[in-house]
Amino acid sequence: MVGVVIATETFKPLVLAQAKARKVDPHLVVVKHPVGGLNAEELAVRIEEAYAGVLKEMEA
Amino acid sequence: MRIVNPGFGITPAGAEQATEGKVDWLNDPIVLFGNSKPNARELLEGVKAKLGLVRRTDNIDFIAKTSASQGAPLDMINDAAKKYRIALLALGD
Amino acid sequence: MSETEILDIGELDQEAWQDYAIEQGWSDGLPLVMPTEASVARMVAAAHGDNEGFAPISPRQVIPTLQSLAANAVMAGAKAEYFPAILAGLRGILDPSYNLHGSMATTHSCAPMVMINGPLRQALGVNCGTNCFGQGWRANASIGRAIQLILLNVGGGRPGVMDRSTQGSPAKYAFCFGENEEESPWAPFHVRRGFAAEDSVVTVMSGEAPHNINDHGSTSAEGLMTTFAHTIAQPGANTIYGKGPYMVVVGPEHAATFARDGWGVDKLRDELWLRARVPLAHISDENLATYAATGHHPTGDFLTIARGPQDIHIAMAGGPGKHSAFIPSFGGTAVISTRVKLPA
Repeated sequence: MVGVVIATETFKPLVLAQAKARKVDPHLVVVKHPVGGLNAEELAVRIEEAYAGVLKEMEA
Repeated sequence: MRIVNPGFGITPAGAEQATEGKVDWLNDPIVLFGNSKPNARELLEGVKAKLGLVRRTDNIDFIAKTSASQGAPLDMINDAAKKYRIALLALGD
Repeated sequence: MSETEILDIGELDQEAWQDYAIEQGWSDGLPLVMPTEASVARMVAAAHGDNEGFAPISPRQVIPTLQSLAANAVMAGAKAEYFPAILAGLRGILDPSYNLHGSMATTHSCAPMVMINGPLRQALGVNCGTNCFGQGWRANASIGRAIQLILLNVGGGRPGVMDRSTQGSPAKYAFCFGENEEESPWAPFHVRRGFAAEDSVVTVMSGEAPHNINDHGSTSAEGLMTTFAHTIAQPGANTIYGKGPYMVVVGPEHAATFARDGWGVDKLRDELWLRARVPLAHISDENLATYAATGHHPTGDFLTIARGPQDIHIAMAGGPGKHSAFIPSFGGTAVISTRVKLPA
């Protein structure tokens, strides 16, 4: 199974540190922070960012 | 001068990385794994809608751990691992 | 974090040692005592009688050695005789129901709350009375600090990396106190949890720093309960959606009033369950929708901040004055009590 983690830039250090601790090379898609508290228009921008990141993973 | 390393710890046995295997991004089933944080589901569902431009989406499903503050139950993870080949996971806020 | 248990750091004077330790990321910002082999050996010797292994410590997921734990206790300024209490607290924190990983990685401000019961409080000089949550007592300060340093250095909970707390909390330096069993009108906390009175027990919860409950005017249990319930019923509590336990640490004067009016711990807990609820009018529509989407539905016109009376934990601590404290939890955590294993 392939897991792709979608996280905000604020949580990127946590994901990387966790991955290092577990000796895992993570598939990570980083979007701007935050995701919570955004209205639909703001969230649409994050969805675009996340989708672009997932597309890159698909093509990798 | 010799001191005891306060960061010393032993990596548990059996903590090796699992292998991923190859996946078919256009056809393999995908699980959208929500973390129960606000907008996580909306974000993942939004990505699913956009994935419809490049792949089938009838085998993309959303699930979420029941608590934002606790890890997903092992059964939920194992069931997802059996049913899906790809997971898109929301992490953080 | 080196993979070697013993490090040769050359000859360092006090100032150079502090710089070195901070450079290694070992410090909470305060000076550290150097964990020499001899001082660590003294600490380890005090733990004889507790020879069970430890689970891996999140988020770094490595298994500590008694030496690496002792090194952190030395650095925190703990006396060797404090070490068994530190280990008991750590064992509680490593219980899966404590949810250490979640409580370390969260943006919430939670820290390990450590409460000590039993004869060890007096043997170690743990402050249970005036200013019990505050400064001035080596046992409180260094036991709480040692646990924090273990989570930092062995667990890897580095602020800004694996510890993602939005604002943190002063409780993240050290949060340890004892129950004031001698002045309490109720049975000690650990006895109510099934331990013997002569057991020494360390209780932990992933909690916020204490929130004050001031009530100088009420002269009855009923009056106090009004203040307690409305202070505790906060729409910003983590447990409004991440349901979990909370602690109420009743000050001795408030406890005396409750007891005089015939209120025991069970009555206090049951009344808090019924009354410390957040009216829906105090919660935004957006939050209500979010809570509903994750399965947290109102009970009548309220949202509860616990799952039931069993989530409400009552202890008694502090000195003279009309103050008590509410200690909210992270939510997805538990209150865990562990008997201290002392050398035979």
